[in-house]
Amino acid sequence: MTAQDALKPYIDDIYTCNRTRCGFCREECPVYRVEGYETYSCRGKMLVARGLLEGTLQPDEEMARMADECLLCGYCAARCALHNVEIITALRETLAEAGFRAPKHQANAAQILAEGYLFPRTSAIRRKGTTPLYLGCLYQSKPAEVNTVLSVLDKAGLDPLIADEVCCGYVVEATGDSEGFARAQERLRQVYAPYADQEILTLCPTCTITLRDKYGLRVKPAIVAVAERLGDLRLEPVAMTATYHDPCHLGRMLGVFEEPRQIIRALGINLVEMEHNRTFSTCCGGGGGVTAVNPKLSAEIAKNRIRDALAVGAETVITVCPTCTPTLLRGAGRLANEVDKFVDVLDLWQLLDKALGA
Amino acid sequence: MSTDTYIQRAFEDLQAIFGERVTVSPMHRMAYSRDWSPRHRSAQDLPDLVVIPHNTDEVVQLVQVALRYNLPVVPFAGGTGMGGGVAAWRGGIMVETKGLNQILELDLQNLSVTVGAGITIWTLNEHLARHNLWFPHQPESKRACTIGACIGCDNDSTFGIRYGKILENLTNLVLVTGRGEAIRLGRRKASFTSTGYKLMELVVGSEGTLGVVTEATLRVFPLPQTRQVRGYLLRSLNEGAKALERLLAAGLAIDSAHMNDRERLHFYTHSYREKYHREPQVPDWAQAILFISWAGDPDVVDFSMDKTTRILQEEYGAEMVREQEMVDGWWDSKHRLEFIPFKQKWPDSQRVKKFGAADLGLPIGRLDEAYARFREIAAKWHQDILGMTVYNEAPNKSTASISFAVFVDDSTEENIRNFYEYVREMSQMAVELEGTMSSYIGDGDRLGGFNILEHGPSLEYMRQVKALFDPAGIMNPGKKFETRWLR
Repeated sequence: MTAQDALKPYIDDIYTCNRTRCGFCREECPVYRVEGYETYSCRGKMLVARGLLEGTLQPDEEMARMADECLLCGYCAARCALHNVEIITALRETLAEAGFRAPKHQANAAQILAEGYLFPRTSAIRRKGTTPLYLGCLYQSKPAEVNTVLSVLDKAGLDPLIADEVCCGYVVEATGDSEGFARAQERLRQVYAPYADQEILTLCPTCTITLRDKYGLRVKPAIVAVAERLGDLRLEPVAMTATYHDPCHLGRMLGVFEEPRQIIRALGINLVEMEHNRTFSTCCGGGGGVTAVNPKLSAEIAKNRIRDALAVGAETVITVCPTCTPTLLRGAGRLANEVDKFVDVLDLWQLLDKALGA
Repeated sequence: MSTDTYIQRAFEDLQAIFGERVTVSPMHRMAYSRDWSPRHRSAQDLPDLVVIPHNTDEVVQLVQVALRYNLPVVPFAGGTGMGGGVAAWRGGIMVETKGLNQILELDLQNLSVTVGAGITIWTLNEHLARHNLWFPHQPESKRACTIGACIGCDNDSTFGIRYGKILENLTNLVLVTGRGEAIRLGRRKASFTSTGYKLMELVVGSEGTLGVVTEATLRVFPLPQTRQVRGYLLRSLNEGAKALERLLAAGLAIDSAHMNDRERLHFYTHSYREKYHREPQVPDWAQAILFISWAGDPDVVDFSMDKTTRILQEEYGAEMVREQEMVDGWWDSKHRLEFIPFKQKWPDSQRVKKFGAADLGLPIGRLDEAYARFREIAAKWHQDILGMTVYNEAPNKSTASISFAVFVDDSTEENIRNFYEYVREMSQMAVELEGTMSSYIGDGDRLGGFNILEHGPSLEYMRQVKALFDPAGIMNPGKKFETRWLR
């Protein structure tokens, strides 16, 4: 296999972008917005990919850093008709094959492949029940947050079953190791085999899209299951003006836009929309492993998203993703030092649990 | 000293000013190597450095460094130009102007906004909309295209028939000349002046050959309450142009007017096909499809629409397009740019061949003649015809800024040469028909070899103007006065 093999299936798309140059992907790309060079936008990366394919550019560390600083958020794809995210993932794989892979990404993938999870767990969370609930690495490392979710699901009359689980492997593939991902897939298929034919509730949008698209599993975001039971729930009203941040995988890629908004409205919250919302929402800064390789960039992107909220007069940002919540909270904290105003970031599960009472 | 040494020294000098906002990295240079113009892959066009200035002072310092080492300075904006205006084929310093993207002043009392030249039309309009205002110079590339690019290229606008092009709504600008000096040109916030020479007007369409535009002050307008769009079928292109003049003579305030031939309609109905899964139906007798919009208060718009329909039907035998979904799909494609997510006309249409155009400006009575000759010339140079659109780019009159579009096979150098031969012969035709070679793309790196046909002895005066602003010849060399494509 040569380093460029991963890109070859996309030659047609890459040349199509190079000869089109419409630039619809560029202006709102959260990374380009911070970095300023066209290279960080999708159409810039498409020219870099062409350079690699034609041999006019050689892989190097700087190029790998650039590729690793993509959020894989899919904003560019939504504005385009090409396989933008797949091409950038192939670009990462090409660079990894050539020996340029961020040590942090390498370590994360190695941890997942060796242990089956990304973050250290105090203890594996289990629960007996009827409907499988896949937690994913982030929630497995946050028992308090899981308790909040379970409390809501209980009150909504759902009976989640938390079984043995291993990492879905998204990080392994997204950081350029397709062979390692194949191993991660094999392992999850074995561990989760008893539930392969059932509908599986999920919490992390990234795990959800991976389980659906890479494993062919029947998945439903747990927040959607709660929204379906909204009419049966008695909610204490919450007085606030807030905006909703669409997580990229939950919104743009899974198409879940309205259910979280229905819940927010049912809570009596005055919901205001940011300029970029739903399909064209922009990333929190936590996508694509960027936080691992460049936390400063991730924080700058998060600050920009909080600026978007401030621009429409929101005092709180509500979201429903274990990556978006802490990333935006970091951005809000740092931006408060600059603009002397703190925009709070709340997880929808937290709000729901409080509103449902004891 | 060798060129490499000059580049290295310039890089060191620029690093002291710009830090991480200057690079010589091949990867970044590659990302600034192309615009939308047809070219073969062998045309690499890498700049030597890329710099991102954030204000006028930084551009002044940048040009002074360029003068010190005699390096070309090439302003880069939206990168969607079709004339090769940003191709750094002589190398040099690529100036990423989109770092100059600030809104510097919004003067609500005088309906005026002063911006950094790197702000996109789309972003500016998002900001203005919060104040119930808009800026009507709107090319189709407005998501990517900047105010500086509009000034540099003198490009087209959807709303030209009511608001004109950028110059109509530009009251002053700041130019960093090839002398390394920043000068403000124009008439402050007034819409006209009778004093001095009109140096600001010289900069419009100068394609970065006189300097880098860093700031612009623009006239903005209240957002209309409502807008309606309709399509009409006509028997010929000349008839369409005449009918439009008649509508204006009737006193109608038309907001936009575009006339497509049958083939070009296909290109603009991508959204419609995606949504309804069918081809637009046009009767055989109809040779032109005229799209008109009206904007303003609802009762005025309704009246204007009715009156327009009556005139076109009764006096010109036109038919209104019955399927409004097709008209809306055209408008989505032209103005709203609301493509179905993950589906878009531009990449969808460029997979095999590439969009290319001769962009002539003609007197309005020569359209059918030009259309017939367009088909002959395209066939002679083996170009696949995509069709013709007539844009109206001057306020309150029927005009003909025309895109004679073809699909270019960019797989061989010979094909690319054929395309530029097509452009040259179409340009000759424009002069014969008492028109102009370019009405919205500009000379770029394509017309310079033969635009003496259009300008005659005045071309020498243009060279003198260039020398006044850019005595060292460093500002975007290889553009306007030469072509690289034809021997």
